[in-house]
Amino acid sequence: MEAVLSHPRPRRQSFVREWVLTVDHKKIGVMYGVTAIFFFLLGGLFALLVRTDLLVPQGVFDAQSYNEFFTMHATIMIFLVIIPLLTGAFGNYLIPLHIGARDMAFPRMNALSYWLYLASGVIMLCSMAGGMPDAGWTAYPPYSVSAKGSGIDFWIFSVHLAGLSSILGAINFLVTIHKMRAPGMSFNRMTLFTWSIWVTAWMQLFGTPALAGAITTLLSDRHWSTVFYNASAGGDPMLYQHLFWFYSHPAVYIMILPAFGIISEVLPVFSRKPIFGYHAIAYSSVAIGFLGFFVWAHHMFVAGMQMSEGIPFMISSLVIAVPTSVKIFNWLATMWRGSVEYSVPMMYASLGFIGSFIIGGFSGVLVAAVPLDMDLHDTYFVVAHIHYVLFGGSVMTIMAGLHFWFPKVTGRMYNKTLGHVSFWFYFVGTQLTFFPMHFLGLAGMPRRYATYPPQYMFWNDVATIGSYVLGLGTLLIVANLFWAAKYGVKVGPNPWGAQTLEWQVSSPPPEHNFDEIPTVTDNPYRPYDPPQPEPEANPTWA
Amino acid sequence: MFSSWLPVELTQMAHNVDSFFYIMLGVVAFFFVLVEALLITFLIRYRRTRRNPTGAAVHGNTKLEVVWMLVPAAILIGLGAFCVPYVYALQKPPAQDVTIRVTGHEWYWDFEYPNGAHARTLEVPAGTPVLFDITSADVIHGFYIPDVRLQQDALPGRITQFWINIKPDMVGHVFDVPCDQFCGAGHSQMHATGRVVTQAEFQQWVSSLKK
Repeated sequence: MEAVLSHPRPRRQSFVREWVLTVDHKKIGVMYGVTAIFFFLLGGLFALLVRTDLLVPQGVFDAQSYNEFFTMHATIMIFLVIIPLLTGAFGNYLIPLHIGARDMAFPRMNALSYWLYLASGVIMLCSMAGGMPDAGWTAYPPYSVSAKGSGIDFWIFSVHLAGLSSILGAINFLVTIHKMRAPGMSFNRMTLFTWSIWVTAWMQLFGTPALAGAITTLLSDRHWSTVFYNASAGGDPMLYQHLFWFYSHPAVYIMILPAFGIISEVLPVFSRKPIFGYHAIAYSSVAIGFLGFFVWAHHMFVAGMQMSEGIPFMISSLVIAVPTSVKIFNWLATMWRGSVEYSVPMMYASLGFIGSFIIGGFSGVLVAAVPLDMDLHDTYFVVAHIHYVLFGGSVMTIMAGLHFWFPKVTGRMYNKTLGHVSFWFYFVGTQLTFFPMHFLGLAGMPRRYATYPPQYMFWNDVATIGSYVLGLGTLLIVANLFWAAKYGVKVGPNPWGAQTLEWQVSSPPPEHNFDEIPTVTDNPYRPYDPPQPEPEANPTWA
Repeated sequence: MFSSWLPVELTQMAHNVDSFFYIMLGVVAFFFVLVEALLITFLIRYRRTRRNPTGAAVHGNTKLEVVWMLVPAAILIGLGAFCVPYVYALQKPPAQDVTIRVTGHEWYWDFEYPNGAHARTLEVPAGTPVLFDITSADVIHGFYIPDVRLQQDALPGRITQFWINIKPDMVGHVFDVPCDQFCGAGHSQMHATGRVVTQAEFQQWVSSLKK
């Protein structure tokens, strides 16, 4: 009786107080997640419009609309879905739990990051009213300077806010990870997800200002008669590309490193083994973060650089494949001699992620070579490459992470059969959509084409059909998760039998995370005990 | 279906690029098959069963780490070094050449021939080096000839270059010259038609153009 009195049941909070005014990292993480899933559906809708246009050589929509669709698709997916989901949603929710802290270092700044992100998204949506941006997510001048309508201005404003949100988030993660780890948690006892977010935050902090500079000068050229990118007045359009890629190539690693972190959490749990090569995986993330700043000009081999100037960037781009392959081999070795459970998150992480992402890794090696890039640059081969990295890599991992931590966040379990069905939709859809693009690129089909010569129709149609399969899979996943959030079967704190700290508290975790801050004495990935034998009525071994 | 695997090779350089492609494809395909085979083997061989309820207590192996770091590093740097001579050969145009000035406009290609005459079609002589001086009158375009496996962006206020030397047995071949750098609503319609001619035909055709 006394115990009940000392823990009075908290009054049910209003929606505004519980969500809008919250500074709890878990609630902010959930808000990031739900918002980003909304934008994922929207960005996916634009992708389906793009693919539908390409069903027939002459195109279904007019070229201007097509250009707006692919611009919105890429911008939404990169700035409003993948980065916010991986850092904002997974990072916010998990980092304090993984390091044994009660919250992020700056909870109110954390809330500000989310609201800036939401504002960025709303502004991007507003651009639809005044003529959507049509310059591609890269927005190269002079085209983006001369483009009519307010679409690009909305785009610039939106990307600015997303960048500011990123920078604030990065500072928050860095301070939190450096200053708020539980007693005994040295860097070498952090989870690999924490390592990956730590490196990602450094990259966001150093990279994002370059993007801000690029688009601020772009805005200035558009409206205030400056000539940063006006060649006839002494400006240089290539300057923009250098600034843009100085951020946007590291951004590729910002979109994949946290994904690597998620894979490193999921694989050991469902292999019932410690992660293989903890230090190799952790330090290879640091190597990727460092090397990631020295490869940007591989986007510009044909952009007007001296050809031999591409050579050092070719070498650095090839070398950055080494830390990535180290991770792949360590993940495979984690499954070796394991006890692999075919759970939904494991299917996404193993077959879904490793099976697809390596295709993007290998095509990346091909386009990193200057002679091959001279041919394949700006063709569908590159489109295939980035989608195998960002969809086969990042999005597959996001799906693994959503299905892995869903019971922790909601305290409920989704329908596992439907989870497996939607995985197969996703896996087959991904291969059908993106693999044919390799053939289109090798045959010489340029990217960003609203219409195309008829000989490219067959593979385009295969890709379009694949994209519909993906669309259906996405709807199944979202329906399954949203239904389960309300009606799913309740689960305990640790339905997967995982070892990291977030699984040692209730599902969902209490607002203050830990009743008592844990003292850490060991690496987070330990050997698993054999399960207790189930009691039998007449034990045969007795 | 597979007839469009790789386009025609108009030049020896294009043939070299395809050789690079097949060599590198062979290397990555080997590792692709290796990783996929290990992945599927491990998924099946080590699946959870009553007799295999838990994984082995293995944390890592330093020797293995060193091997799978150094072997890919050596292969990748080797592949990169292998490409370097081609890049320098491509960068240095031969002394005697026919120079064609290419200008990208929204949305067509303009070709200026050695006598100063302009045309919208690209006629190139076979058996002699042809140098393209590439620029743009407005936004950035991409001057791409899939059949020679080369492209350079066309930028305002800057001249980019590449050169080709078409094999003599390709005379009469007609090829596509698309724009492959996004340039607006007419981007996908921005194609020129190229034709390989003999040097005599080329001189005749050029002199027939109005200046």
